[in-house]
Amino acid sequence: MTRTGVLRLARTLGAAVAASATLAHAQTSPAALGWLRKIYQATQHLSYSGTFVYQRGDETETSRIVRVASGGTDVEKLVALDGARREIVRTRNAVQCYLPDIHTVKVDRHGVDSSNHEGGFPTMLPERLNGLARNYAVTLGGVARIAGYECREVVLTPKDDYRYGYRLWADRRTGMLLKARTFNKKDATLEQFTFTQLRIGRVPRDEARLGRIPHGWHVEDSTVQPVDLAAAGWRVSADLPGFEKIAEVKRKLRDTHLVDQVVYSDGMAAVSVFIEPLPAHGAGVEPGLSRTGATNIYTREVAGHLVTVVGEAPAISVQRIGDRVEYHPPH
Amino acid sequence: MRAKISALMDGEIEGAELAASFAALTRRDAAAYEAWCVYHLVGDALCGRRPLSEGFTARFAQRLAAEPTVLAPAAAPAQPAPRRWIALSAAASLAAAALVGWLALAPQHGGNPVQLAQAPMSAVPALPAAQSSVASRAPARVPLPREADDYLLAHQSYSLRNSLQGMMPYIRTVAVENAAGRP
Repeated sequence: MTRTGVLRLARTLGAAVAASATLAHAQTSPAALGWLRKIYQATQHLSYSGTFVYQRGDETETSRIVRVASGGTDVEKLVALDGARREIVRTRNAVQCYLPDIHTVKVDRHGVDSSNHEGGFPTMLPERLNGLARNYAVTLGGVARIAGYECREVVLTPKDDYRYGYRLWADRRTGMLLKARTFNKKDATLEQFTFTQLRIGRVPRDEARLGRIPHGWHVEDSTVQPVDLAAAGWRVSADLPGFEKIAEVKRKLRDTHLVDQVVYSDGMAAVSVFIEPLPAHGAGVEPGLSRTGATNIYTREVAGHLVTVVGEAPAISVQRIGDRVEYHPPH
Repeated sequence: MRAKISALMDGEIEGAELAASFAALTRRDAAAYEAWCVYHLVGDALCGRRPLSEGFTARFAQRLAAEPTVLAPAAAPAQPAPRRWIALSAAASLAAAALVGWLALAPQHGGNPVQLAQAPMSAVPALPAAQSSVASRAPARVPLPREADDYLLAHQSYSLRNSLQGMMPYIRTVAVENAAGRP
């Protein structure tokens, strides 16, 4: 080949090598971890109201969100503006999901469980943020303007194929998260949340009040309790680097089914394993994978039980966790 | 001839020499023709261009057969006009490209195009094989379970991501595609 031809090949090769080197050597910076702490603080302490767009594949949905922070009695409300009517209200230890079209309220109530002796929902403690650096390179990106706010970008690049990556954009002044994108190893966007309008500061408590459940509506209450799955003969393990068990509970699902749930997390992504008995004479369940946005769902039958693994993690991760589930009758 | 092929690919040969080079490439010198194909294959792979679709060569040959001027170059005037030669050389380029496409596809049954070195960070580390009752085969792609939103709601409360994002991710648990079809 001629000199120019060789040069052209060399240039292409050089660019490819440089690109992979940038990814492999991305190092977590203390400044980027500092920004995560700032976002965490803002999420815990700010009151705000705004409108955001949720994108998943080709679909987009617009919702209103309100948060009233006031010591230990914070309340948040999310109202879907597109499609079927849906409202979700979250307090410290309960989530109520109102579905007026089917006259149903689903209640997910968190009392004291094995993982959380205080009651309430598990939270990412500030000291856990540093642990994120074991599984992700946390780096600072550029500056962007979103919904009128000057934002700093923080990138969480996964260190292996068992988790997705995240790009977060937070208000430079308050740390409020304005935009979040989940991406896979091909850098394709799996889902994205973006505020299109946001007002930070005092919000009248009325705007996030708990709705009264209308007479005649159906209430599905989850009643979560601690459980010991190992004693019942189940062996469930994450077997993935960086994922640790954060909860093990029994809950009601659809008002009738008792379901066991084990949750694993690497600090950012979470994967739940649900185990429930199958009808005695039902058809067998073939292993199957499905996906919605950044959530993969894997189903499989083990010893007459349906195992469903749900997680914001790549298919390879939810499948691996599901395939490790075993049952050995207790003696 | 190989040096000439490089020059050809770089567009450094013009005029009568261009026509002669293509004529040699297509009819006389099998080794040169192969080199032409391989050079293109390497170039395309480096630039990440996808190979042509399967069966392109056959379809192209059919179309080529239907082209009288290309089919019977011997019927061309003794002193061919440059334009005609350009047409022929373009056809030769296409034929070469077709072969390149076929070469790229052939060993992989229409699957991935030629794979070059991947970024080392994306490699999945080998984990010890745990005792498991299922073989590691690819499960079927299935639609979302009907109860998906119940599982998603039960799962969402445990996502530590809520600590960075408040309850925005809860919109996933009652997304339209699940809520719409419910009784």
